[in-house]
Amino acid sequence: MIRYIETPFSEEESLSVLNKFARSWFTKNFKELTPPQRYSFKLIGQKKSLLVTAPTGSGKTMSGFLSIISRLFDYSIEGKLESKVYCLYISPLRALNNDIQRNLTRPLEEIYAMIKKEKGTDVIKENIKQVTIGVRTGDTTQKERAAMLKHPPNILVTTPESLAILLNSSKFVENMKSIEYVIIDEIHELANNKRGVHLSLSIERLADITEKKFTRIGLGATLYPIEEAAKYLVGYDEGKPNDCTVVDASWSKKFDVLTFSPVKDVIHSSDRRIEELMYKELNRIITKSKTTLIFTNTRSGTERVVFNLKRRFKYGEDIAAHHGSLSRESRLEVEEMLKKGALKCAVTSTSLELGVDIGSVDYVVQLGSPKSVTRAIQRVGRAGHSYNETAKGEVIALNRDDLVECTVMLHSALEHRLDSFVVPQNALDVLAQHIVGMALVKKWDVDEAYELIKRVYAYKDLERGDFMSLINYLAGNYVGLESRRVYGKIWYDEKEKVFGKRGKYTKVIYMLNLGTIPDEVAVNVMMASNKKKWVGNIEEEFLMKLKPGDVFALGGHLYRFEYSRAMKCYVSEANAASPTIPPWFSEQLPLSYELANYIGEFRLGLFNLLEEEMKAGNALKGKMPKAIEKFLDGFPMDENAKAAIYNYFVEQILFTKYIPNRDMLIIEGTNDISSDKYYLIFHSLFGRRVNDTLSRAFAIKMGEAIGEDIGVMVSDNGFMLVFDEKPRIGYERISKIIKDLYTEPLEDMLKSNIRNTELMKRRFRHAAARGFMILRNYKGWKIGVSRQQINSQLILKAVEEMDINFPILKETYREILNDVMDLPRAKEVLERIKKKDLKWDLINTPLPSPFAHNLMTFGHADVIMMKDRRRYLKQLHKMVMKRIDESG
Amino acid sequence: MELIKDIELLEGLPIIYIKSLKAIVCSDLHLGYEGVMAKRGVYLPKSNLKRIMKMVEEALNKTKATTIIVDGDIKNEFSEVDQDEFNELYDFIQFLKGKHITTVLIKGNHDNFVDKYKAPFNLTIYEQEAKLGKYLFFHGEEQPKETSKAKMLIMGHEHPSIGVYNSVGTKEKIKCFLYGKYDGVPILVLPAMNYFASGTDINLQPESELLSPVFKHVDVDGMRAIAVGYGSTIDFGKISQLRKLAAQGTA
Repeated sequence: MIRYIETPFSEEESLSVLNKFARSWFTKNFKELTPPQRYSFKLIGQKKSLLVTAPTGSGKTMSGFLSIISRLFDYSIEGKLESKVYCLYISPLRALNNDIQRNLTRPLEEIYAMIKKEKGTDVIKENIKQVTIGVRTGDTTQKERAAMLKHPPNILVTTPESLAILLNSSKFVENMKSIEYVIIDEIHELANNKRGVHLSLSIERLADITEKKFTRIGLGATLYPIEEAAKYLVGYDEGKPNDCTVVDASWSKKFDVLTFSPVKDVIHSSDRRIEELMYKELNRIITKSKTTLIFTNTRSGTERVVFNLKRRFKYGEDIAAHHGSLSRESRLEVEEMLKKGALKCAVTSTSLELGVDIGSVDYVVQLGSPKSVTRAIQRVGRAGHSYNETAKGEVIALNRDDLVECTVMLHSALEHRLDSFVVPQNALDVLAQHIVGMALVKKWDVDEAYELIKRVYAYKDLERGDFMSLINYLAGNYVGLESRRVYGKIWYDEKEKVFGKRGKYTKVIYMLNLGTIPDEVAVNVMMASNKKKWVGNIEEEFLMKLKPGDVFALGGHLYRFEYSRAMKCYVSEANAASPTIPPWFSEQLPLSYELANYIGEFRLGLFNLLEEEMKAGNALKGKMPKAIEKFLDGFPMDENAKAAIYNYFVEQILFTKYIPNRDMLIIEGTNDISSDKYYLIFHSLFGRRVNDTLSRAFAIKMGEAIGEDIGVMVSDNGFMLVFDEKPRIGYERISKIIKDLYTEPLEDMLKSNIRNTELMKRRFRHAAARGFMILRNYKGWKIGVSRQQINSQLILKAVEEMDINFPILKETYREILNDVMDLPRAKEVLERIKKKDLKWDLINTPLPSPFAHNLMTFGHADVIMMKDRRRYLKQLHKMVMKRIDESG
Repeated sequence: MELIKDIELLEGLPIIYIKSLKAIVCSDLHLGYEGVMAKRGVYLPKSNLKRIMKMVEEALNKTKATTIIVDGDIKNEFSEVDQDEFNELYDFIQFLKGKHITTVLIKGNHDNFVDKYKAPFNLTIYEQEAKLGKYLFFHGEEQPKETSKAKMLIMGHEHPSIGVYNSVGTKEKIKCFLYGKYDGVPILVLPAMNYFASGTDINLQPESELLSPVFKHVDVDGMRAIAVGYGSTIDFGKISQLRKLAAQGTA
């Protein structure tokens, strides 16, 4: 059962579970217990499984470890401490592992010193040993490993991948049977992805071999729904979650945040003016704070901001950039300088969001929306070093959609309304790996293995059929008998229902290829007309978003995507066109479903108030009505932002009489001012992943209806279908299509749509590598990503025709539909329409309404195109205002 | 489709039938391909042999053939014959024997060590090239020799295909025959039988990128591409025309 605990234990009660040495060490070093410690000392002392979420700087590490250290010294004093592992600590970050070792070495040494001082020579007589700690990661040398095997540390610090390797080292496993505690740190980084799923399978495999049932401790930053994370941590038993106590100390830190707009009128102020005021604000903050941390969302943005701050305000080495494209050394240097307090300001894309301790930051600035409430809290939470300080920060937004989004986001953060995460369910590729790992250790009865796997939260609903199809795949049953020797990774006896290891290379293959993070390299962009002409690089993630015909900018030129081969992308010049995908699209995180819903609520609230004002005959232009001012004052933003948002909504309602909102989906049919194209704009506010799903479904159905291909553009605030000319599609037709969408099997429709996409080809490679259909490393030879891609495409071709339910293929579709897109929630949205809980309407506008402007210019949203984009936007806006004025 | 009076391109198949020889001809089977890939850590599901047998069976049913001529590369690995290759080779030959078909093999660059099986399998093997009837068969990794007396040269090796764009702009490769002139003598290039070899898209590659030295004597742009796929055989016209269309991105 998952149980919440909200009343902390008293200090005496908490400390009473520690032995006198640990207790006196703690009181000597700390003035008081932090909020998480007030729960954790006692509960871990009682060997209760526990999930603790708390902000950085709240003594999380100590809250997890101190009771354990105390217990291990008890063993030592009793002369029972053996050279075995008692506590396993796992974190996804290698860097963090070294920090942990460093941070624990001091208490271990100091407590031991206290014992020695008291016991004197008895220490030797009674064989009172030091409690030891050791780190084991991919960086650990062969020599260190051998030493560790001989003298295993009592506390073993490791990563998910190294744990999987250790589970298959027959000798080391003996040292792990004594484990009594398992700590999973940074659980928010693991619970929502395949790496975390992989880890949780390892944990259940470990639980299967330890002598005692171990206590599980999860540590992490805030996340929601927290009970999902708890279930992920403790696993299931016979269909029910195991016992876990949840301590949510995330809110011990207070927040002081607001949305800032450099100007009142975002549309008519010049770019230069906006930029100037933005940097002025940044400089004001940096000057008045000791250390400022700025988040920019993209790497290019990070560089630009650092460059501008230095140029405009003569900063020197006291401002530094930190992002994923920089070398490890320069990143470490920036982290070190932050810790020492030697920087005035650090600018980062996302890389300083979590993890490593960065010392005291007193103000956090977020440029543009971080797209999720949880992320906003994590980032702003970087400010204020200790848990009882207030985290101060602001979000600077430069367009009207962003202003609304950020304001609602911060409001939700203050209200503790977070966006949710999902543990990927039944990932067959990850499971394939572990079945191989399990088979290498011993012979398994099929039922016994199935039961074990179902103890993992991510597989609690695993269907027997899927499990058996994996066993059959791994046994090589899809090829003839004589080839199983090569294809089979496990041996399976169908009569006895027993499986085990097969082949002398399987163990090598397993050890060299395990893990879930796909190999990636940059994709070379070449001209299709002259295959030797290289024009630049793009990230593979970006290639996955491209469909043939898409136009994107690279190095100041525009190119049309034609096709790809392995890790090469072939393009042609696209002179006259404008980009259909901005270059940061793959880097920019998608707007979350929950935040989109909160924005929908905000829109609904404001819409109702505006309608009331109109009914009362009050003019909306000019001064803001009192009721609306009061409403907006309930949201954290400055005066400029308030005015900008108000005007935005007024323009929309005057132009269309509607504000698309949580309960009303507006579909707008309109023309562009610069071309003959016709647009159907869906003001669908359900997050980008849902929009991605819905837009494909609508495009397929519309395409069928009019018999031609339709262009699609997806963004956070909606999606649009682009037609060469106005189609014969009216209310009736759309109504029919919507009905089809909630009656027909959406999943099959989408599958056939994504079958030939880049997304499919690339994701299949990832799944095939995870499921050992292609190897990344073969007998010590690294296989290049290019080769992997070509090979996996051959496999895809063969597998598709063989069996559409082949486990690795099935998993690829599952991953795309559920993890990349959001099919379940897209269905929810359609269900809401069916139940008339979500209404919809079609409106026709002579030109795009204000809420559509950002979507219309979306393709232009790119650094080099910024000027054009704003010019276009202004032009649109001017025309809308003219219409409003004309209609009175 | 009738190529010349004596030669039929069997509808939808990468196989031809020569009436005067009562023989079907195909090339580049690369049996054992999946097994070889598996030994490199790529676990391709087996499907090549099954498909090849199906195609050969269809060809035999459609014709009065008593012989099959394999124009090189019946197997995949350059070096010795590995176990998987042997098994597939064995199954294939047994299958032909069961149909009372004589097997003639022109050796290709992948066919080293195949001689070992000459006796047990009762194969007829030609080292370089073979003049059978009026036709000169050779694999294609080297220049043919006795060209002057031949009515037509027939080769494999190149795995020709054409690149075609569909309406959404996705490129697709379709296997094809190439038909042209080699120093004035008609030449036919056979597509690959191998399922996984999607081939070289002749209309998208500059001539210098082609595999076989034979094309130094051939006006590639002047060759006709006869595509095979989706159950039919269609003449797509000259490569030069296909190149133009590809350049416009609408081929």
